[in-house]
Amino acid sequence: MSEYTYIYEREYMKTNKLRFIVILLMFSLVAVACGGDTADDAAEAPETTEAPQETLAAPATTAPPPEVIVVWAEEKVATALDPLVGAYEAAAGVDVEVVVYDFGAIRTDVQTAGPAGEGPDVFLGAHDWVGELAANGVVSPLDLGSVASDLYDVGVTAFSYGGEVYGFPYATEAIAMFYNADLVDSVPATWEEAKAACDTAGTELCVGTPSNDAYHNHPFVASAGGYVFASAGGFDASDVGLDNAGAIASAEYLDGLVKNGTVYSADYGGAMSNFQEGRALFWMTGPWARGDASAVNYGVGLIPQFDGNAATPFVGVRGAMVSSFSDKQVLAQSFILDFFATVEVQQAMYESDPRLPATKSLFAVVEAADPIAAVFAASASNGIPMPNIPEMGSVWGPMADALNVIREQAYGTNEETGVTISNATDAMKLAAEQVRNAIAGG
Amino acid sequence: MTVSKIFRYTFLAIINSLIVYAIPLTLTFESWFLLSLIIVIGILINLVYFSDRFLPMKWILPGMIFMISFVVFPALYNSYVSFTNWSTGHILTKTQAINILEDRVYTPENQKGIEFEIFVLQDSSLDFYYVANLDSNNILFGKAVSDDEIFTTSYANHEPSLFVNNEFVTPDGYYLLSGKEQIANSTTLQDLSLIIDESTRVQLYKISVFGASTGRLSSTSQLYTYDDLNDVMINNADNLSCPVVKDNFVCDGKEIEPGWRVFVGGENYRKLFSNQRIRGPLGVVTKWTFQFAFLSVLLCFVVGLFLSMILNKDGLKFKRIYRAIFILPYAIPAFVSVLVWKGLLNPDYGLINSWFGPLYEIFDIEPIKWLTTKESARSAVLLVNTWLGFPYMFLITTGALQSIPKELIEAAKVDGASGLQSFWRITFPLLMVSISPLLIGSFAYNFNNFTLIFLLTGGGPPIIGSDVAVGWTDILISFTYKLAISGGRGNLFGLASSVTIIIFFIVLVISAISFRYTKRLERIYGNI
Repeated sequence: MSEYTYIYEREYMKTNKLRFIVILLMFSLVAVACGGDTADDAAEAPETTEAPQETLAAPATTAPPPEVIVVWAEEKVATALDPLVGAYEAAAGVDVEVVVYDFGAIRTDVQTAGPAGEGPDVFLGAHDWVGELAANGVVSPLDLGSVASDLYDVGVTAFSYGGEVYGFPYATEAIAMFYNADLVDSVPATWEEAKAACDTAGTELCVGTPSNDAYHNHPFVASAGGYVFASAGGFDASDVGLDNAGAIASAEYLDGLVKNGTVYSADYGGAMSNFQEGRALFWMTGPWARGDASAVNYGVGLIPQFDGNAATPFVGVRGAMVSSFSDKQVLAQSFILDFFATVEVQQAMYESDPRLPATKSLFAVVEAADPIAAVFAASASNGIPMPNIPEMGSVWGPMADALNVIREQAYGTNEETGVTISNATDAMKLAAEQVRNAIAGG
Repeated sequence: MTVSKIFRYTFLAIINSLIVYAIPLTLTFESWFLLSLIIVIGILINLVYFSDRFLPMKWILPGMIFMISFVVFPALYNSYVSFTNWSTGHILTKTQAINILEDRVYTPENQKGIEFEIFVLQDSSLDFYYVANLDSNNILFGKAVSDDEIFTTSYANHEPSLFVNNEFVTPDGYYLLSGKEQIANSTTLQDLSLIIDESTRVQLYKISVFGASTGRLSSTSQLYTYDDLNDVMINNADNLSCPVVKDNFVCDGKEIEPGWRVFVGGENYRKLFSNQRIRGPLGVVTKWTFQFAFLSVLLCFVVGLFLSMILNKDGLKFKRIYRAIFILPYAIPAFVSVLVWKGLLNPDYGLINSWFGPLYEIFDIEPIKWLTTKESARSAVLLVNTWLGFPYMFLITTGALQSIPKELIEAAKVDGASGLQSFWRITFPLLMVSISPLLIGSFAYNFNNFTLIFLLTGGGPPIIGSDVAVGWTDILISFTYKLAISGGRGNLFGLASSVTIIIFFIVLVISAISFRYTKRLERIYGNI
């Protein structure tokens, strides 16, 4: 113990000197750390003070450091944009910084980074985020102006919320029906004929599409007058149409299709492998599955009609939006309208990631080159955009559950609540009730 | 000695410079909590490492800092969120929401969609001027002013002379800005307007680098003006006064978005316990959560213990190889194996049903529709979780078994105990002394095993007839997710946090009881 104190005392004298040196060192490091900032300030300061002197002679040269537009884009779009932004940068004298971002992460990160002052100026996203983003005040309205005439209505509707348009749509997406071209020539116009085609072809299964999925099954609800939310002039969460006469009629019709084996029970992977292995004649899904479908000689047609009504798939739309936390609103807007919306950029993006075009000018280019894409686009034009209001969150679960009950014929009584679902009508009524409850109680 | 000193002080210098660097950053984000945390941590670090007085603290401090920043802070933050209305439409602070609303402009109904060329000029004193080419009768020219000067400036003049043969001619004494120069000044220009009359102004809305820029008409007054004396928002378009109702401004019965975050006290908790819609399914879900967590631990433990007992026999050859094989499921990431299992369990094309096919035929029973009925989905969840969890139990019981002295068992044998007796009276209790804390941990983990439920069944199959979408295999945490994140009106972070706090207390109580039981075990067997 005493030995320790002795050593401690002796060391203490040494330490004092050392401590002085170290504190000096520390402050110098602090100075270095802050130095980055002061250097920047110093670099900026002379320019701003010099500027007025220069401008008296020729105001043209009063160029502050170039503005930087930060764009968040998913990888495929970013790779398409990268070689093209150079031309815009040169013409506009700005720096465009395209940040590769995971598509799904953009939705959440825009909402956290924006309010913290770190978000992008322009970001790409799906139209069904718009309600949430607008309700949270993180996206600015975008006046499409003359560009609007080049856009399909479904794209503009998709990005409309509360009377404003919030994005420039660049790609759409909707399901249609793949058919095995070795066994059948086309997709028949009605479901009866589709069943007959399967019987003739002699395949084990007929039409495959995921059972537990509101997106793929939407045509079975909405083609004969049913709807999720009434959509005249923006979606109305107070008007749920999952149990109106049209929805119930087409759900009962689906029940019949399941019972007679036209539509078989499957998940996404099952429907895919059955189509690839030739066990099923038809596969109802979207353009993303073309690679998977090419395991067989396939063709694509419109989804059969319901009682003479065209099938209405859900349409997903992607677009470019302006963050409301950007301090360069006009510039960000100009970037979208003057650069992003041009045919060249749209075409480059299509080549990098072939989604259905949302602009008429690009569609004209694509249609000639790719007739199958044109079929998907035709299917999309019959469809309606997925509701973009935040209340849509309450729909996916109940709607998928109800359709799953019908698709799996899982009717029965709930032992806990004593509620009985004996047919498709009950299932749809219950789903509508659940949606209304969820919205009211949310 | 000196090397370690130099090392220590360099380390301190770096830490301190980082702290000094971080302070202005936190100031700009106005996050006072983080600022105070940084300052406290900074003072602590300097105090402990500069002086030699707090020797033990030198070892404890890093651990404490990590614990505070990764455990205590998130937990406290979570409980704070559970007392707020944090949700879609209410993620901003009130100031931010007001700023966003005040930034909104509106276009009078009859002027919507009017678009025209706009030219930006600058005079020798660097003021900006706009020329708006509305039509041949309205070529407007004037100084572009900021919002403060709207009502003091003079209106724009009609200047047809600026166009000769439809070509714009720059007037003397002015400089015409190219698109590039407009963009360079865009942050200034976006706040300027050309005032046409009392109620209308022209604003720049698209700067074109390839052609003429475009302007649009809007109202001279912004859509919303905040009156901070009365705490109301004035809607200038409809002349409405919108008072604050809870967390939104409400105009004529209609909430204006965005709203803001407020402290709501126990509102979220009240909702959980009083709302029939939530309370109804909560009972079913809670019951199953307990069953699931308990059975998962039990099954994993039984299978793991059984295997480790078998592989603990002395004469067994290739012991290491067997052990390696049994640990394999543990080495594969859970989300991969869960998805594989999902495929195997597919009732129509899954491997399991095709293997069971002959059995179904022999006993003439309907093939099990895995994952689509209540019982099959629940058993599938337990089956997969057992497969995922037994290697862990296998590992720890193997270790514990090896640490039990062989003499005890031999002594029991000498006293005439049967194998079963010596297992239940000696091996098992001794095993429980060291294993039960891990069993409690495992229970708590499975109580919140979101990954498994979400990936394997998504909570399904649905409970038919419940008021909310909820499934038979939903456990509390996945129900929370459905309720708060994927249901209702967007994301209800506040509500979700309050459920997690409740889950925390449930797990806390169970753990406390179990630890007390473990203590008793230790008292009885600990000194062997």
